[in-house]
Amino acid sequence: MTLGVVLTLLAVVWLWLVDNYIPDVATEGEPGPRALPFLLGILLAILGVALALSGPASPPAEEDGRSSAGPAPRTAITTVALLLAYTFLLDKLGFITATAVLMLTAMAGVLGMRRWVFMAVFAAAFAAGSWLVFNTLLGIPLPRDPWLVSVQ
Amino acid sequence: MESVLQAFAAATQPGVLAATAAGAIAGLIVSAIPGLTFSMALILVMPFTFAMEPIPAIAMLFGVYSGGMTGGAVSAVLIGIPGTPSAAATVFDGHAMARKGEASVALGASVIASAFGGIFSLLVMVLLLEQVAAFAIRFGPAEIFALVLFGLSTICGLAEKSLLRGLTAGVLGLMVMTIGLDELDGVGRLTFGTVELQQGVHMLVAMIGLFAVPNVIEAFANHGHVRREIVTEEVRGVLPWRRLRGYWGLMTRASVIGTIIGAVPGGGGPIASFLAYDHARRFSSHPEGYGHGEIGGVVAPEAANNAVMGGALIPLLSLGIPADAATAIILGGLLIHGLEPGPLLFQTNLDIIYALYVTVMLSWVVILLAQVIGIRLFVKVLKVPAHLLGVCILVLCGIGAFAARNSLFDVYTMALFGFGGYLLQLARIPVAPVVLGLVLGPTLEQQYRTALILSEGSHRIFLESPFALTMFALTALFAGWQIVSTFRARRAASASEGVS
Repeated sequence: MTLGVVLTLLAVVWLWLVDNYIPDVATEGEPGPRALPFLLGILLAILGVALALSGPASPPAEEDGRSSAGPAPRTAITTVALLLAYTFLLDKLGFITATAVLMLTAMAGVLGMRRWVFMAVFAAAFAAGSWLVFNTLLGIPLPRDPWLVSVQ
Repeated sequence: MESVLQAFAAATQPGVLAATAAGAIAGLIVSAIPGLTFSMALILVMPFTFAMEPIPAIAMLFGVYSGGMTGGAVSAVLIGIPGTPSAAATVFDGHAMARKGEASVALGASVIASAFGGIFSLLVMVLLLEQVAAFAIRFGPAEIFALVLFGLSTICGLAEKSLLRGLTAGVLGLMVMTIGLDELDGVGRLTFGTVELQQGVHMLVAMIGLFAVPNVIEAFANHGHVRREIVTEEVRGVLPWRRLRGYWGLMTRASVIGTIIGAVPGGGGPIASFLAYDHARRFSSHPEGYGHGEIGGVVAPEAANNAVMGGALIPLLSLGIPADAATAIILGGLLIHGLEPGPLLFQTNLDIIYALYVTVMLSWVVILLAQVIGIRLFVKVLKVPAHLLGVCILVLCGIGAFAARNSLFDVYTMALFGFGGYLLQLARIPVAPVVLGLVLGPTLEQQYRTALILSEGSHRIFLESPFALTMFALTALFAGWQIVSTFRARRAASASEGVS
């Protein structure tokens, strides 16, 4: 029920966005850039209404070994917030520092680990190792740490 | 013949061999760990391939594919939890064998069966691929549109028990893909004037978020709650050829099942392995042994789930249509290297296709060797806590999303898709159709519009092609059948409720 309502609302917002933000131009004979987004919005609305009406018809299927209540929302929000902060720090601090900070925060904050020496060594080694593998060996230009420039 | 020899030379260069081996071993290890699926192994390996030449990149991806399908059996046998969903059917008898003290035999038998199934389906694929491609080369936009529509609708319908949820997932994936610059008319769609959104959502970035992040969240959430009992028997690397006497016929039949299921859109490893297990039990002379450590219950699902690969690659390489989530990810990987699967690939890049055949063969050699030599190592890997790996995977997610286009905006996008993936899980909406929508969306729309431009706006172009008509009819038939069976199941459920 809730899911159906949420999806229907999403569809309405989507249709409003499409109507207001996609210009109505089209090459001769073809439906133009608005056609598919419109169609999808309408389809989603129909599916949303159908889901809302069908109610809790299908009982929760037997979960394959997973925690049946679904993973904890708090863990989910924290993990995603960590990733967003990581991205911000990648830009400010560079790859190695940001990675080490992310790993330490995840281990201490999310997992509640307290073995500080192990954690520090693990985070530093993994951050530096990934930099060597991806940046130096494979040539993927990751954000460079400011202090690394002065070393070289 | 000459090009085959060239392909062999290309695939056996040291760099390519190393990529194959690294991929196969990475696939074995990641999918051996419960909670980390084999789709995720494919996604995590992707950033490693960005900077490579096409052949080693493909070698690595396909190495992960073969290794990933095989590795799931390790934890199925030793812990009784499938390392990856395709190994779920292996648990019944594999784990029972381990409890009887035959863990080494079960592991050895599973790897032999895996290699057998994989190589069997590879041969079928080699025989059929070029014929399908030669047939498909005549396809115009109308036919391709009809074909993609059929593929997408079956996958959405089959992905989950709920048709509505499967379709919702497909529509959501298609919606995401419409964001960005519209190539035909050159206008931005829902870009709100930003440069970053002009390029659209990179399909790999979305996949990392949808597959990998929810996995990490789950590993973090289960931290401290899940206990695993590993069979303590000293595991040796053996290949029990003798024990398999009398089972080769079963393995061949299981491989046929796997190859066919693999080629059907929406099929995939889990379905194939359960069907093969069921077949093995039904046609066994002593079905009562199944579930109590019968070796046929290990080799049948393992041969079948590895045979899925060759089957699934037929529509992928010859038509550009992925049959399941794993092949959709592979398709993404090929596109990044400028290789667009489809009939044209056989004319422009035949060398790469031949090299791919050789690479897959070689990956089986690596897997057999790894199993014999390295099995004790795998047992150790199973003891590495999943939450600690989760921390490392977060970093790999960041690297992968960034490396796709060297853009931090993509890393933010990946994180948001990660939350989206979690919400989908919460709403019990399957992820596979979302990914297929992402991958197939652009083709679907472009072919439809190109067809209309060719026909000057007349929809008759879709009705004039017998092939397109057949595909539309099949789509309608399938949709009708799905709707009817959903209603029947519901009525049966409410009837049985009334009785009780």
